[in-house]
Amino acid sequence: MRAAADPESFRLVIPSQTRYLNLVTGLAKRASLVAGMDDATAAKVSIAVDEAVTNVIIHAYRGESTHQVEIELRFREEALEIRIWNTGGGLHDEDVVLPDPKEYVKHPRKGGLGLLLMSRFMDEIHFKDTDGRSECCMIKRTPA
Amino acid sequence: MADLLIQVREVDGVAVMRPEGFINAHTVRMFEDALEKLVAEGRFTILLDCQGLNYISSAGLGAIMGLIETVRDNGGDILLCNLHENVFAIFDTLGFTQLYRVFPTEAEAILAVAGKA
Repeated sequence: MRAAADPESFRLVIPSQTRYLNLVTGLAKRASLVAGMDDATAAKVSIAVDEAVTNVIIHAYRGESTHQVEIELRFREEALEIRIWNTGGGLHDEDVVLPDPKEYVKHPRKGGLGLLLMSRFMDEIHFKDTDGRSECCMIKRTPA
Repeated sequence: MADLLIQVREVDGVAVMRPEGFINAHTVRMFEDALEKLVAEGRFTILLDCQGLNYISSAGLGAIMGLIETVRDNGGDILLCNLHENVFAIFDTLGFTQLYRVFPTEAEAILAVAGKA
């Protein structure tokens, strides 16, 4: 039986294909504006969502296009909460090691920047397994 | 509209690349191919005019990062101009504004390359 719909949230399920990134990031940006954020902050939230969904498609699902990525946007009184689930496996909080930007700039290489952008652009990021699925939860507080 | 369109032209010996749209994991291959084509042609001074760039994710940053040493080893550089606030925030947050020269306009970037500014 499905749980009663939460009037403060909505969910989107997309195939694990990068062609839908633009759609999801556009939605995240609009949701951020609805939550009361300014354009610059909304753009940062949309980038964080791009990075999180890209991580799922490229790393958790290894680029396989036949899986699903589920995204929930929840409007809390003081924040916008975004949860992204996949069944391909994921990170846990203790696994996350962010690169040092200063070292990165000294020794340029491809990759490793997505998590850093997520952590800088959102107020909180958490990874965990829940109900057999991997979850990334990102929180951006809204202006008082 | 396509997710990404890329125009390239030559201005005073500088390859000016104008990406329009979004550079993310879906479009990055096109962006990377365009950059690699310039490098393969020996055009090592590249100006990214970001006037039409709505956003660039870490995938796009990686494409630039993957070529920066090659172009600099060949006496060139990758420069940036006309960055929207949100695109600048991405570069600046990661400290890339220390790594790349950023100009307000294409004209100022071209002058700087020519040593006139």
